[in-house]
Amino acid sequence: MTWTDEELVARSISGDADSFNELILRWERPIYALAYRTIGREEDARDVCQETFLRAFRALPGFRGQAKFSSWLYRIALNLCRDWLRRERRAPVVQAPEDVDLMDLAASGEPSESIEDLVARKDLSRAVEKAMALLPEEQRTAIVLKEYHGLTFQEIADLIGCPLSTVKTRLYQGLTVLRRELAKNTAVPKGPART
Amino acid sequence: MTQMPCGYAGDRDETLIAYLYDDIDPAARAEFDTHLATCEQCRIELQALGGVRSTLARWNPPELKSLVAGSPPAVRRSWWREIPAWAQVAAALLFLGVSAGIANLDIRYDRNGLAIRTGWSTPPSPRAQSTGATAPIGAASQSNVNAASMADLTALAAALRAEFRSQRATLTPGAPSPRTFAPMARSGAGDTEILRKVRVLIGETERRQERELALRLAQAIGEINAARQADLRRVDLSLNRVENNLGVEVLKNKQSMQYLMRVSQRQ
Repeated sequence: MTWTDEELVARSISGDADSFNELILRWERPIYALAYRTIGREEDARDVCQETFLRAFRALPGFRGQAKFSSWLYRIALNLCRDWLRRERRAPVVQAPEDVDLMDLAASGEPSESIEDLVARKDLSRAVEKAMALLPEEQRTAIVLKEYHGLTFQEIADLIGCPLSTVKTRLYQGLTVLRRELAKNTAVPKGPART
Repeated sequence: MTQMPCGYAGDRDETLIAYLYDDIDPAARAEFDTHLATCEQCRIELQALGGVRSTLARWNPPELKSLVAGSPPAVRRSWWREIPAWAQVAAALLFLGVSAGIANLDIRYDRNGLAIRTGWSTPPSPRAQSTGATAPIGAASQSNVNAASMADLTALAAALRAEFRSQRATLTPGAPSPRTFAPMARSGAGDTEILRKVRVLIGETERRQERELALRLAQAIGEINAARQADLRRVDLSLNRVENNLGVEVLKNKQSMQYLMRVSQRQ
């Protein structure tokens, strides 16, 4: 039987540690991905992810269920990312190494993927990371939440605490910068618009 | 050719983004569709931003080692944990019973001692075993031995060796006739017989493995239950200890309070 997040939260509050572990297993990857794409450093993203769950665990008795558990978790993670960026007083760091380890690439790729494809994929990832690092924090956060976490404009607005139109404007401005930056480094596919 | 400036009446950038992500109400979508039909600038930008999205989709963060150290994913353990212990044992017994039935398990204890026989084929005759000859395993006999006995294996190995020798001899010019070396008739019937024996042996091995698996499964379940019981006992003991300590503390507090009250009444 699969428990909902809210049921697991209730069980965690009543002292069931396994239920909280289940919540971690369910949400650690999205939270880590959010942190990584926001701050751009693997180790720090992992720390943020860990801290997010620690804070969530401590604050669990105060969770009233007025928002979805995932939204609550995202808010904690975003606050931690914001703290990290302010503490470091810098834009996200692009961590991609200069030299590409072909063995690592081969190990991480799909079985049918050639080394050329793997290198191209890695290059593309690096170009995206560099372009994303140029964006102001608000635009980057809006893009990450919309693009990679599939939140609606309204959900993003609620999460960040800004008007709906601001979210759309930030997305438009961010995507426009990315379009320009990616065009410098990569051949952006000219396919039909994704919806 | 110069591009016509966009003449969209509403907030063009916001609508473009809403249209791009398909997070737009149907009326606004229809209106923007009409606009797109006539505005080249919007069409080009929409396509370009769609391209950016395709590129973004290929950016994945590095792998994350789970924060829950040593825990298997919940999906893999949940089904197992939710089955009660008695049902697990019952399932294991049922599996053992079915396996034994399939394997046609036959356990006998008579003056010759304990004998376990499996398989649907009848056991080999004592004569065939003693001589090591290649008599068919399926020959009628009531011998209480394991169907895939050492004698069967020896006989089969001898037959196969002879077969290989004869094949080699056929390929070597000037070699003696294969019949000189082959104890078995070199006919189609002989080959069929060997194949049949190999199949019987493989079948026996598979059945034996199934039985061993079931046995180990039952043992593992027993061990898990024993470990769980031990853990529960430990937790119970710890709780009792904590309760005792708490009781002592409460008693001490009560005594202190009584002492304070006595002192205050005297004054």
